[in-house]
Amino acid sequence: MLMENDAFLTELTKLFQKGKTSGSVCMTIKRYDGRLKPKPRNGNVPEPNEYKCLVRATLGNKKITTVINHKDVTKFQMAYGNLLKANIDGLKKKDKKAARGRKKAKATQ
Amino acid sequence: MTYFSSWEEFEKAAERLYLSDSLKCRFVTKYRHCDGKLSLKITDDKVCLQYRTEHAQDIKKLEKLTGHLMRHMASKEK
Repeated sequence: MLMENDAFLTELTKLFQKGKTSGSVCMTIKRYDGRLKPKPRNGNVPEPNEYKCLVRATLGNKKITTVINHKDVTKFQMAYGNLLKANIDGLKKKDKKAARGRKKAKATQ
Repeated sequence: MTYFSSWEEFEKAAERLYLSDSLKCRFVTKYRHCDGKLSLKITDDKVCLQYRTEHAQDIKKLEKLTGHLMRHMASKEK
């Protein structure tokens, strides 16, 4: 489902929340030349003067898509980065030393 | 294609692959919360580069690379 940038970010947050229990959230980014018709067979593709970025996300059978224009990229990129940081929170933290210390403390008790 | 073991190598190779044909490349981020795993892939359907991690400190690097690629994708540069 194609949506506006802001709506996409809201939906993506929802996907992450849904994905907490099971499943994988997939995000794909790809360069997009803005064409809405298939490439002509003779291969004459007019050079776009500006490229766009296509962002897709899926969880199970739910798919969302958005297109980022050049003028919106800074805003979107920051929001997207923050969203990733906030939602990818199930990875191992880097407190190996602390963890080791704790284990040792437990072992000696 | 096997997974890269170092982020730096993956990042370099990913940027190189992307720049070689920017319209053909896609960059996929897959996150499994229940397993605590994150895997990244960039491919142009000929070459496929992958990296996976379980560590939170890689998120920052991912954010940087994603931002970098995204900015280039939505730019006027070829």
